[in-house]
Amino acid sequence: MIRAERLSRAYGNRIAVRDLSFHVRRGEVMGLLGPNGAGKSTTMKMLTCFLPPSSGSATVGDIPLDDSLAVRRLIGYLPENAPSYRDLDVRSHLGFIGRMQGIPAATLADRIAEMSQLCGLTGMLNRRIDELSKGYRQRVGLAASMLHDPQCLILDEPTTGLDPNQIIEIRHLIRKLAEAKTVLLSSHVLPEVEAACDRMMIIDGGELKALGTSAELAAMASGGAVLHVRLKGKAEKTLERLRSELPEVQVDAVEAVESGGETVNAVLRHADTSVPLAETLFHAAVKEGAVLLEMRHEQTRLEDVFRRLTKGASA
Amino acid sequence: MRPVLTLCWKEWRVALDTPLGYVVATAFLLASGFFFGKNLFLFGQTEMRGYFAALPLLLMFFVPAMSMRMLADEQHDGSFELLATLPVTTAQIVAGKFLGVLLQVVVLLGCTLVYPASLLLLGHLDVGQVLASYAAALMLGAVYAAACLYASSLTAHAIIAYVIGFGLLLAFYLLTVAAPTLPIAMQDMLSMLSPVQHYQNMLRGVITLDDAVLMVSLAALFAGLTWFQLERRRWR
Repeated sequence: MIRAERLSRAYGNRIAVRDLSFHVRRGEVMGLLGPNGAGKSTTMKMLTCFLPPSSGSATVGDIPLDDSLAVRRLIGYLPENAPSYRDLDVRSHLGFIGRMQGIPAATLADRIAEMSQLCGLTGMLNRRIDELSKGYRQRVGLAASMLHDPQCLILDEPTTGLDPNQIIEIRHLIRKLAEAKTVLLSSHVLPEVEAACDRMMIIDGGELKALGTSAELAAMASGGAVLHVRLKGKAEKTLERLRSELPEVQVDAVEAVESGGETVNAVLRHADTSVPLAETLFHAAVKEGAVLLEMRHEQTRLEDVFRRLTKGASA
Repeated sequence: MRPVLTLCWKEWRVALDTPLGYVVATAFLLASGFFFGKNLFLFGQTEMRGYFAALPLLLMFFVPAMSMRMLADEQHDGSFELLATLPVTTAQIVAGKFLGVLLQVVVLLGCTLVYPASLLLLGHLDVGQVLASYAAALMLGAVYAAACLYASSLTAHAIIAYVIGFGLLLAFYLLTVAAPTLPIAMQDMLSMLSPVQHYQNMLRGVITLDDAVLMVSLAALFAGLTWFQLERRRWR
């Protein structure tokens, strides 16, 4: 749905985004992660035709960014901080956005009612936006971005400034929307992206550092699959058998837990996450007659992945 | 055309929903009433020449106030990003905003139609001249609106936009006032460029093609500069 090829943008001499290439599939929720100033918002501004790229190209629904009016019709965009016309009431604001989007007058009122219900704004339609809390203004922005039923939603930090309950509500809303739409959302709240997105990309210094599901990113950051095991009896032989079956496996930190070497702990690593490491170990233990007391995959948290990949910026 | 009219309508709604619109309208009509009433009550003349002579000065104060928020606030509040990512061209944005200011000028001038109407009841009035003067005022309002819209595109602060807009309109006015003190060759050139000079020419009751063309060209020039300023922001 969204495809970027070597997208770059410079502000004067400062390069904000450099050679960014990625693909967001139709019906997918893609998270854009990065520290402040990483280029998240600039990337979104380019995809929504607000800023022209300095070089590179991108398409939204197979339409190149050069055909900007057609691209803008496909996209619903919630800019950072959800700007809106604060002097207007919610209904007038949504009416203005709807008319600008070309929604026929006959269906506009219905669309406003539908979207305000979806975003929990039903009782707020006659209130001036100025009087609303930040959470409600965020909802107004979200409702405005979806009014014309776009195929693709681009949301720049949709939950900034919301309280935990509102964050959960917006997250549910995004998941609900994702059933029918392609969503690209940016955030630096990691659990949020993990909960809401199918895949995510991490950018730092304007460059793509990683792209994949949270499991893939975790595996990438930890350098492959990591398995912690505790074996009782015939541990050495079991590990030897494992080595012979999977020559690339690395066995670290072998230590006896009890005196006499009856029970040992070991950490097994394999660069390839697709190799059935746990299964092979299980069969090796059965064949050698060892007892497998414990076996767990090391889970690299998204926070660790993020820190490792963007260390340059925070150091 | 629909986005242009929608944007114009939105600006009208904002003017109606905020105190600024009412403050500007009240102050303009009070000042208008003073300049109109002066000739009628002090000198007993049923004519509007005095009023129309003072109008460039009045508009100089009020048009920047009507237009200062148009683009400066959009930039200040971040809503320009919202507007510019809707399926509209920059030219349509400029046209919609320009018509938004012009509509306010038209409504305010429309309110003053009560003056010629009351004069018609009191005595003889040169209707043709008054109509030509209103047409001239409308054209001057359009040039002022475009110039002040340009001022609003230059900054994210409405007050600064007001000062720049006022400065531009003052320059137009001084161009006309200062022209007679300059060498003849420069006088012709300056009076050709000054919208106030063309406005004064039209107050005689005759609208010539060159006066009208110059006024429209000046409005178009400032609208074009506004367009350029908005586009330039994206490429910086």
